[in-house]
Amino acid sequence: MEIGLDIFLQVMVWGLYAGCIYILLATGLNLIFGVMKVVNFAHGQLLMIGAYVTFSFFVLTGFNPYVLLAASIPILIVIGVCIERLCFRPILGTGKLNEIFISIGLIYILENVAAMIWTDEWKTIRSPFEEITVTIGGMKIPVDYLIIIVTTVLILVGLYIFLKKTRLGLAVRATSQNRKAAMLVGINVERMDMLSFGIGAGLAGAAGTLWVVSGQVFNPYMGSVPAVKAFAIVIIGGLGSIPGAIIGGLILGIAENFTVLTIGGAWKDAVAFLILILVLIIKPNGLFGEKAE
Amino acid sequence: MIEKNRVVLYLTVATLAFAVLFPLVTGLNMYYLTVLILIVIFIIFASAWNFLTYSGQGSLGHAAFFGIGGYISTLIAVKSGLTPYLTIFIGGAGAALVGLFIGAICVRMKEWFLAMVTFGFAVIIQVLVASQFVSVTGGWDGVAAPPLISNTVPNYLVYEYYSILLIAVVVILLFRTILNSKIGLAFSAIRENELEARASGIDPVRYKLFAFMVSAYFSGLAGALEISYLGYVTPEIFGVDISFWPIIYSISGGLGTLAGPIIGTIVITLLWDGLQSLGLTYGRFIIIGIILVLVVIFLPRGLVSLPEVIKKRAPVWKARFNKLLSK
Repeated sequence: MEIGLDIFLQVMVWGLYAGCIYILLATGLNLIFGVMKVVNFAHGQLLMIGAYVTFSFFVLTGFNPYVLLAASIPILIVIGVCIERLCFRPILGTGKLNEIFISIGLIYILENVAAMIWTDEWKTIRSPFEEITVTIGGMKIPVDYLIIIVTTVLILVGLYIFLKKTRLGLAVRATSQNRKAAMLVGINVERMDMLSFGIGAGLAGAAGTLWVVSGQVFNPYMGSVPAVKAFAIVIIGGLGSIPGAIIGGLILGIAENFTVLTIGGAWKDAVAFLILILVLIIKPNGLFGEKAE
Repeated sequence: MIEKNRVVLYLTVATLAFAVLFPLVTGLNMYYLTVLILIVIFIIFASAWNFLTYSGQGSLGHAAFFGIGGYISTLIAVKSGLTPYLTIFIGGAGAALVGLFIGAICVRMKEWFLAMVTFGFAVIIQVLVASQFVSVTGGWDGVAAPPLISNTVPNYLVYEYYSILLIAVVVILLFRTILNSKIGLAFSAIRENELEARASGIDPVRYKLFAFMVSAYFSGLAGALEISYLGYVTPEIFGVDISFWPIIYSISGGLGTLAGPIIGTIVITLLWDGLQSLGLTYGRFIIIGIILVLVVIFLPRGLVSLPEVIKKRAPVWKARFNKLLSK
């Protein structure tokens, strides 16, 4: 197939935009993993809840959906903290399979609670900026894509400032580097667990809002696929490495859109795992992985 | 110890007697038979999944083997006209080959890496079956599968049930023999500490691959049985749910025990059907999810360990109860 430069750039922008949602999920997963050494496989269900929270507030208030980030993030932080306290803290340090099993339980609970509240039909909302496009270098880009990319960058910059410039962020990083030493210098590591899980869930909530705003459809069962891909990104980038998550997210977003263009839509979901398997065969700890577990 | 062995023996005989006699006692009730058939098929599947954990591995994508077994068995039965009684074993062999391939890639991975890669293979295989080999597999429409026994035979479900039960008993005895042999010993050595196992002359790669193949073979067999019972196969069979069920059954019953997957499958399936008859479409998933979380937190060794836990805790509870009374 002949691929011109304009199509190439177009697909790059799509990929960038798709990558944003993956990056938000993967960064959250990585933050949680860094601090707690736990992987929350039910992370995509948090995205789904975030999407529904946005949807409900949009229907109720009619606010601009981007403003509703202010609703979805705090609500998801609260849910995240509850999940950490009720489900993950009791099994901390009891074996790595247990967290996978707990997550499977959580997936069933969250998906079906959502189905009870919002029914299991596909839903979608229209962004107020749907019609507006910006022309850059001869290609038309929906303004929504640009806002989503900018929002993601802002959130990531905010997270970076929090982690690097505040005392609390320092405590989070310390816990993530060495839990015992952090405990010894008087950091309340359990509070850091709660905090990192809350932020991770909040980022998933933001991803949920962005998912809805971009006009994508959603139902209670849509969370698994983006979450598993986000986790694949985390592994591709290396467990615990946030730059790895960002690069991995971009690679996947772009790779997926090129796959759709060249091989066909059916392969969209499989390409993440093909990349994952290839990366792991060559570099068993991921691209930026620090050490073997 | 002798005491305990005897209890286990009695329980095994009782369960088996129940499984054999129940359809006869209930007058070959069709509804009970369908429930029993599905339970026995999933006992094979959950046991096969559980077999993998003995070697220190795990999988979030066993639906891949379940589905491949189902597809290969069905396609061969349709094309060649062979009876499914033969093709189910070919289906298992096909799943074992794929298992060997996936296992070879996964053998050096651990925990989350393994979980993700196995999960990924199930997704990739689903895409392959649904979109690449459409002329053979029928794409998303699927293929009609010939039944084990033609439904024109009177009481065909009864014969099917006893055939499947026989296969299940043989499979579990086989697992028991393997795990009680030197191979089982090597498995636990690898599971506890791979480095030490290697130091004492065990080749972890060989044993892990063997575990993967055996597990895949019997998952494929279970899948082939399920499909010939259902009568059709679609790519839905590679779905996440099918991968999760054997995990849920094994955990709730007790990981790393022979009885665990059996007890788990029976209890959870009956609960599931019970909740369904109460009309809880979403509620039953929530309840299963809550049970899974509670079991992992409070009963990490599953329902199998329940008598032990009660025995241990009973004096404490009794003391508390007496305290409450004396107040």
